[in-house]
Amino acid sequence: MSQPPPNYDDQIVRRFVSVTVIWGFVGMLVGVILALQLAWWPANLGLPYTSFGRLRPLHTNAVIFAFTANALFAGIYYSMQRLLKVRMWSDKLSAVHFWGWQAIIVAAAITLPLGLTQGKEYAELIWPIDLAIAVVWVAFAINFFGTIAIRKVAHLYVAIWFYMSMVITIAVLHIVNSLAMPATLTRSYPVFSGLTDALVQWWYGHNAVGFLLTTPILGLMYYFLPRAAERPVYSYRLSIIHFWALVFLYLWAGPHHLLYSALPDWAQTLGMVFSIVLLAPSWGGMLNGLLTLRGAWDRLRTDPVLKFFVVGITFYGMSTFEGPMMSIRSVNSLSHYTDWTIAHVHQGALGWVGMTMFGMIYWLAPRIWYRPLHSVSLATTHFWLATVGIVLYVVAMWTAGVTQGLMWRGLTPDGLLQYPNFLDTVTGLIPFYWIRVIGGAMYLVGLCLLAYNLWRTATAPAASSQLEAA
Amino acid sequence: MNPVRDAAATAAYGWLPGAMTVAFLVFFVAWAVWAYLPSNRARLEAAGRLPLDDGDET
Repeated sequence: MSQPPPNYDDQIVRRFVSVTVIWGFVGMLVGVILALQLAWWPANLGLPYTSFGRLRPLHTNAVIFAFTANALFAGIYYSMQRLLKVRMWSDKLSAVHFWGWQAIIVAAAITLPLGLTQGKEYAELIWPIDLAIAVVWVAFAINFFGTIAIRKVAHLYVAIWFYMSMVITIAVLHIVNSLAMPATLTRSYPVFSGLTDALVQWWYGHNAVGFLLTTPILGLMYYFLPRAAERPVYSYRLSIIHFWALVFLYLWAGPHHLLYSALPDWAQTLGMVFSIVLLAPSWGGMLNGLLTLRGAWDRLRTDPVLKFFVVGITFYGMSTFEGPMMSIRSVNSLSHYTDWTIAHVHQGALGWVGMTMFGMIYWLAPRIWYRPLHSVSLATTHFWLATVGIVLYVVAMWTAGVTQGLMWRGLTPDGLLQYPNFLDTVTGLIPFYWIRVIGGAMYLVGLCLLAYNLWRTATAPAASSQLEAA
Repeated sequence: MNPVRDAAATAAYGWLPGAMTVAFLVFFVAWAVWAYLPSNRARLEAAGRLPLDDGDET
């Protein structure tokens, strides 16, 4: 690996990569504990702080806003400085962003187990923390656009456009969905009520998936995949269409979370149609990513980074096929409220988000610590553990979800419920829940291998003579 | 909640979502045409190589 570039801030990248792994461990450990609680209830320890209802938002917030967001920030700080050929506009704002975001995560990790929540999915944090998120996000946005303003490359590469969509949209979504009237320091009342509240919530919820877990990661894919494959993206022009089509369509897909609700039929249909149309740009982007590897497929045998990317992009394709399908009313009537949704979410989260972020981190590690990766074979072991773990997880939850949906709607010839005792539909799923525990634990062990590998890489003695050979 | 008021609001502002839809569609189609204009081909293909022009890598 070559020497540090003189003008770029790589310290901020190292910091964000390090906390990604730490918070990733916390978030995924809580996930495995929750999976265990569903298979074997005494794992909730009989304490309110460790009950499912309090740990579940801790898990979702940790993996979305601590693991994924920190990884995104690492990749964005690394790539945007290089794409714009300029150091970040303000190192102070970078530091405010880093420390502010970590303080918010700590506040979340304290308040959620205490049961302090707004009760909105993926937006549970209480109003003082919501305010802090808005302030830190705006600091990041100022630094982000300040850097664009002083850039030394005229053309904004497509990755920057994807990042921009995140910076702007997440600010709008977060602020509107969190509008509330504080009553005490820890309690508040949302300004929206009833159906309007539900629609705003899912406009926020689905676009958190769209603009935090999809578009910025696609931006990272458009930067790091060409870097790792050492060839330009298959079609740059397709990537531009991919971007504009995604950002126009995503914002309208939220109502598919409210099918068969009190939401007017036309709005449900609108959400469904936009969700189905989303398949086109999503698959365009997936093919653009996979075709970037044309002529480099042989390197998949040896390069764990490309392995992670290929599986990540493949899962992107699978979950963006499954999502539109599940948004169709008749499919949704079977899948909604079942574990099928959990399968879908984790296909995207563990498969697309996790694998792509792991690939990026393995590619980044030697370049931000300026020494070779400690162990390539350990990275390959991580890859296989994670891949098999996801497959176990997703297949178990698909099976559980379809079983659950069919049992709920099963009728006897007389038109009575075939399974009137709800408990029958619960106990039937326990074997699948155990498979999920195993799959999730494998994914978590893989993350521990990553942590160990990074630790050894970062603390290895820097021997500059060996670096060039790596 | 008031059906008469809702209907009046739809009549008064109903054109706005329609106009926005048309504007977005025109914007998107124009952007797609721009991306695939033969005269832009060389410039955009060069832009696609920006990540590889890193300066800190061999």
